[in-house]
Amino acid sequence: MIEIKNITKTYGKKQNAFLALDDVSFDIPTGASVAIIGKSGSGKSTLMHAVSGLDRPETGEIIIDGESILTLKPRAIDKFRSEKMSFIFQSFFIQANETCYDNVSLPLEIAGVPFGERRAKVEAALAAVELTDKLNSRARNLSGGQKQRLAVARAIVNSPQVLFADEPTGNLDSKTGDVIEDLLFGYNKKNNITLIIVTHDPELADKCDIRVEIKDGKLQSVTDQTKKLAK
Amino acid sequence: MKLIDITRRAGRSLKHAKARTLLTSLAIGVGAFTITLSLAGGQGGREYTDAIVKSNTNVKEVSATKAVDDSGKIQQYSETSAGQVSAGFGGSGFDPISYDDIAELEKISNVVTVTPNYAPAVNYITTEGQEKYVATISTFSPSVTLKFAAGSVDGDLGKDEIILTEEYAETLGFKTPQDAVGKKVDLGAQSLASSPLNPDKRDFTYTVKGVSSASGLAFRSQGSLLVSTAAAKDMYDYINEGTRAYGQFLLVAVEVNDADNAESVKQAMIKKGYDAQTSDDILGTVNTFINVLLGILLGFGALAVLTSIFGIINTQYISVLERTQQIGLMKALGMSRRDVGRLFKLEAAWIGFLGGALGSGLAILVGTIANPYISDALNLEDIYLLIFSPVQVLIVVVGLMLVSVGAGILPARKASKLDPIEALRTE
Repeated sequence: MIEIKNITKTYGKKQNAFLALDDVSFDIPTGASVAIIGKSGSGKSTLMHAVSGLDRPETGEIIIDGESILTLKPRAIDKFRSEKMSFIFQSFFIQANETCYDNVSLPLEIAGVPFGERRAKVEAALAAVELTDKLNSRARNLSGGQKQRLAVARAIVNSPQVLFADEPTGNLDSKTGDVIEDLLFGYNKKNNITLIIVTHDPELADKCDIRVEIKDGKLQSVTDQTKKLAK
Repeated sequence: MKLIDITRRAGRSLKHAKARTLLTSLAIGVGAFTITLSLAGGQGGREYTDAIVKSNTNVKEVSATKAVDDSGKIQQYSETSAGQVSAGFGGSGFDPISYDDIAELEKISNVVTVTPNYAPAVNYITTEGQEKYVATISTFSPSVTLKFAAGSVDGDLGKDEIILTEEYAETLGFKTPQDAVGKKVDLGAQSLASSPLNPDKRDFTYTVKGVSSASGLAFRSQGSLLVSTAAAKDMYDYINEGTRAYGQFLLVAVEVNDADNAESVKQAMIKKGYDAQTSDDILGTVNTFINVLLGILLGFGALAVLTSIFGIINTQYISVLERTQQIGLMKALGMSRRDVGRLFKLEAAWIGFLGGALGSGLAILVGTIANPYISDALNLEDIYLLIFSPVQVLIVVVGLMLVSVGAGILPARKASKLDPIEALRTE
């Protein structure tokens, strides 16, 4: 359960001040898939950064499973992120000159997982995205879709509780985009983890349990789509 | 994040930028090369001078002269000293040491013997069927290392024995140094007290015990023939007895019971009004010279290292800029600021290690190849002037790694302060 309470975030100072998030509050139940949808500059990315503890809003609280993460010290937030969260980005952000293995192994190393336990986890994650045969290939040799699958493997390797995806299909054609979507939703349902997708694509948003619409930093609507999806 | 994992990632990112890494570490390698070579030269130089002093002086020996009034003022005439000085030493201004002084010196604790520097002024050396040749006589000391071309001396030299040099052996008509051993040579002397018109002359006969060879180490033994102290005293007494300079010595050798006591004996002698010098003093003078040279070389090395520091800072700054997104991602994945800083500091450490290892490795290679040539050119025989000590090389490499980490602090701080949101913004 993620509780978002009265989040306000301002960029810039005085007359240049820009209200990126204006008193945003809503709850996300554990295991739900959530789409945060809005136009460019609507504040949807800022919201994701705030929820993941990357950014510090001026006011408000983010409570994840009873823990208010904004009051934690930076090191504690880092630890929290390394153990319980992971990210997928529009431009993949994989290390092109490293092997697939080393790319996927990074979150495990950051979380301090012992060397002996890493290999099995990395192999399992790569198997889940069907990249087992690319284990020792350099990431630069992968196609766009493969790169994003690699990013998914990196995101799921440490069994996170919350998975953030920032425009995960934005750089992909619709066919490879569908593969990524299936991977994400499949992982979400199978492991009962919370999936938060930031997107401006209404079609992708329609596939999520909860649709959160945001405009000019203000929360427009929170729609439960589970009934619609069940039909 | 575990240190080993950070170290491995740091090593890998350097591997991905091979040319840049190599060039940056080459700069530090120049410093490592210079420093390693100069340290090896210093080490070799010290061991070389140590060997020189050991083979030319006795560590248990303190040489003494009368203290000279060095105030610069013209000294007042005195019956007791000046007259004798002018007779024996041509008015050089030195106070001679008399047998009374020797008795006084012998009273100092830890002193075993006090031997005057006899240096008998013989006229010539010759052997059967040969011409006469001029010769300088010195006294043999068992504790001074000699290199023999033929024969050898076990312990002290006998009273009727002499050590020739290779040159003398050849000049005196011996085909090989080995031929000279066991043969008899004559030293011709003349009593200075006898009338010039009817000089009293005498030949002293000695058996050749050994032939010393020229060595890169030996100074004293090279030109002079060595006899025992007793033999030198015999000749000295014969030549000088009855003259005014008899019993007046410029220099005496004070033998101490243990090398460790040399310094205390020296101090006691200085208190009594003598100038004294231990073999450590002689070594110290030579070593000061070597240390100055070493300091200059080390200075050049340090300058090269200083230059390379800026190279490392520059490279690492560029690396941080290039890898903004990577740093942002690692931070988003929960890598702490401290670990991000460590990653870049460890990269700098790798560069330092690479440079240090390359530079000192090359220095060892070049030094090892050059050593025989240097020794050959300087006629040092089997002594090498560049001595590489593993500990010193290790200190150089570790030191350069620390310097590199120091240079990496600023870029590492920039990386650790990077805002992950800014870094991950793509539009």
